[in-house]
Amino acid sequence: MRVGQTGRSHRVSLVDASPLRKADPRAKLFISLAVSLVVMMPLERLAIFLGLYIFFLWWARLLIPSAQQIWRLKWLLIVLFAFDWWLISLEHALLICTRLALLTGVFALFFSTTTTRELGLALERLRVPYRYAFSLSLAFQSLGLLEDEWRAIREAQLSRGVEPRIFSFRQLVSQVGDLISLAVPAIVLTTKRAWAITEAAYARGFDSPHRTSYRTLSFSRFDFVLMAGAVILIALLYWRFA
Amino acid sequence: MPRLIPVLRANQVSFRYPQEGHGLEPVSLEIAPGELTLVTGPSGCGKSTLARCLMGLIPHLYHGELTGEVWLNGYRTSDASMWQLAEKAGMVFQNPAAQMLAPSVEDEIIFGLENLGLPPEEITSRLENVLQDFNLTHLRQRNPQTLSGGEQQRLALAAIMARQPQALILDEPLSMLDTTAAGDLIAYLQRFAAEGKTLIVFEHRQEYLDDVPGLRHIALEGKAKEERKVPSANPLPAQESFRLEVENLGVQLGGRIVLQNLNLSLDSGQILVVVGRNGVGKTTLLRSLAGLQKHSGSAKVVTVRGEQPPNLGMVFQNPDLQLFNASVRDEILYRLPRPDMAYYRWLVAALGLQPYEATPPLLLSEGEKKRLALGLVLMRRPAHGVLLDEPSLGQDHAHKDILVHMLRMLADAGQLVMMTTHDLTLASQADRLILLGPEGLLADGPTASVLEDDSAWAKAGIALPNWFLREHKTGGSG
Repeated sequence: MRVGQTGRSHRVSLVDASPLRKADPRAKLFISLAVSLVVMMPLERLAIFLGLYIFFLWWARLLIPSAQQIWRLKWLLIVLFAFDWWLISLEHALLICTRLALLTGVFALFFSTTTTRELGLALERLRVPYRYAFSLSLAFQSLGLLEDEWRAIREAQLSRGVEPRIFSFRQLVSQVGDLISLAVPAIVLTTKRAWAITEAAYARGFDSPHRTSYRTLSFSRFDFVLMAGAVILIALLYWRFA
Repeated sequence: MPRLIPVLRANQVSFRYPQEGHGLEPVSLEIAPGELTLVTGPSGCGKSTLARCLMGLIPHLYHGELTGEVWLNGYRTSDASMWQLAEKAGMVFQNPAAQMLAPSVEDEIIFGLENLGLPPEEITSRLENVLQDFNLTHLRQRNPQTLSGGEQQRLALAAIMARQPQALILDEPLSMLDTTAAGDLIAYLQRFAAEGKTLIVFEHRQEYLDDVPGLRHIALEGKAKEERKVPSANPLPAQESFRLEVENLGVQLGGRIVLQNLNLSLDSGQILVVVGRNGVGKTTLLRSLAGLQKHSGSAKVVTVRGEQPPNLGMVFQNPDLQLFNASVRDEILYRLPRPDMAYYRWLVAALGLQPYEATPPLLLSEGEKKRLALGLVLMRRPAHGVLLDEPSLGQDHAHKDILVHMLRMLADAGQLVMMTTHDLTLASQADRLILLGPEGLLADGPTASVLEDDSAWAKAGIALPNWFLREHKTGGSG
């Protein structure tokens, strides 16, 4: 029998020491979107941006959380790199993997410095209806729980002798049953949890039309500097090096 | 003295869920302000369904066949909006972890206050008051999912009480709590009742509330069930005796030492129970013995012929983790190349699952699912025995009796049966009791003698309740 968990969690934890922790989540969303646009640039300019972005992450004390997130994608990156190099070119392989790594870094940047409550608040201020902003923030909050449940299901099935191997292509037909053994409990648990949260939210007046907001967001000079810096940098990369 | 106008009134209320075909048989009740009411009844009689009807979740969130009417503080629940009902009553659910919806303790409380439309100063004032009242101030920035079961239940109650509802509905609030946390919760409930709040508690663990002064008791009957015929003959072959030797077992989780240098010598043919407060490593111990948890030290089975690794089946706390087949029969026989059908037939009869062989497991009651989870582990015939994590959670007495009968047959056949539980009545039926505390093993021996060891229970932080002391301790120090 395979040995299960060691207690190591894969979820993103909050980096309180980062200067971005104090930034307005809307400013961080803006930076994240800006970086996501930059990834469409050609490789040479992307390489310049990557250097600057690494420096920015170092300043924001987020180099390690970002590297950890990218490391978790190592197998995907290796497979993508190998396929793209083999089927297209080395340059294309580098471009695709750099883009993916950058996007992963952006995810780490945002979620290492922002709580799900702050995300919900930012979405509300951006005029996303409360119902959807709350649901989206709750979905991100539940990612860690999903990971725990998935691990628990695998262990529970292992203990009865069912050993699902998702990425094995051999004996695919016989493995369909094993995959169902993971999928059915996962759906059941997720549905039950969703219902439990819905009940709890409605029992505390979730549908009230008189809702107020206790926490507020306000832009500071720091936020404007961050956003202006992002705009200037992208403009330079697009026009100065065009 | 004239009777006060009821806060809650149900008039011939019944409900049927669309797919499941069961629900609540017609019930009428009236609950006056300041009353503390306990509602009991067997599994499947509709306790949770009645709680949802009283809160208004039925018919607002659940659709099905509803008859009769419920009045909550002047509102007919089917006419009022859910948020209007939530201003009058609050509800605390069975599983505290599942009802946490905010990233911090503070935000969990603030959520309900924002929905009341209160100004920030009033929210701050109520937040600080409930944090203090429920002893949560030191935990205010913590993620609710990282709290213990008792702390989570306190938080769930605080989040509701901050809204200052006139009535409070609690659906099995004690089921996930250890004895001490359950006692603390009851003390809080008594305080609220004394303040004139109306409380209605749906609970299996009735004994915890029996001593509450002025308690009103309503027993739901539900549908009469077919009497189960549990086979008395034990077809399990007598097994060679063995000893499970656990030496210097240690486990670290996320940098925290959960178990350290644990040494146990466990004889086969016994029911062993592991008791301790939430978080002391009871489940971790079972997972280690099942081979699911990395650990230091060793666990080995010693027989007259030598040593071997333990082969113990594990029954998890949540049966939904394991069930995925189309019928009970398929679930138990899944991937068994040559199943012993005589043993299978005995097993489904002994577990009271015979009427459900063709039923999809997901449609069974929680008690039946638990027994099915035990059945599919036993069908694989683990060589040395079974490990059960909280097998009686949320179960009524009839379900527990079937479980204990089955476990006794396994032990009589020479298997090792080891379980964790907060249920002291179940624990008292074991042959041997292992008491764990934050520093490790506190007591280990025959159940009756460990129950007499007052200092060990004090070190474990478990206050044995009065009803238990009256029934089980000869000396009676509590």
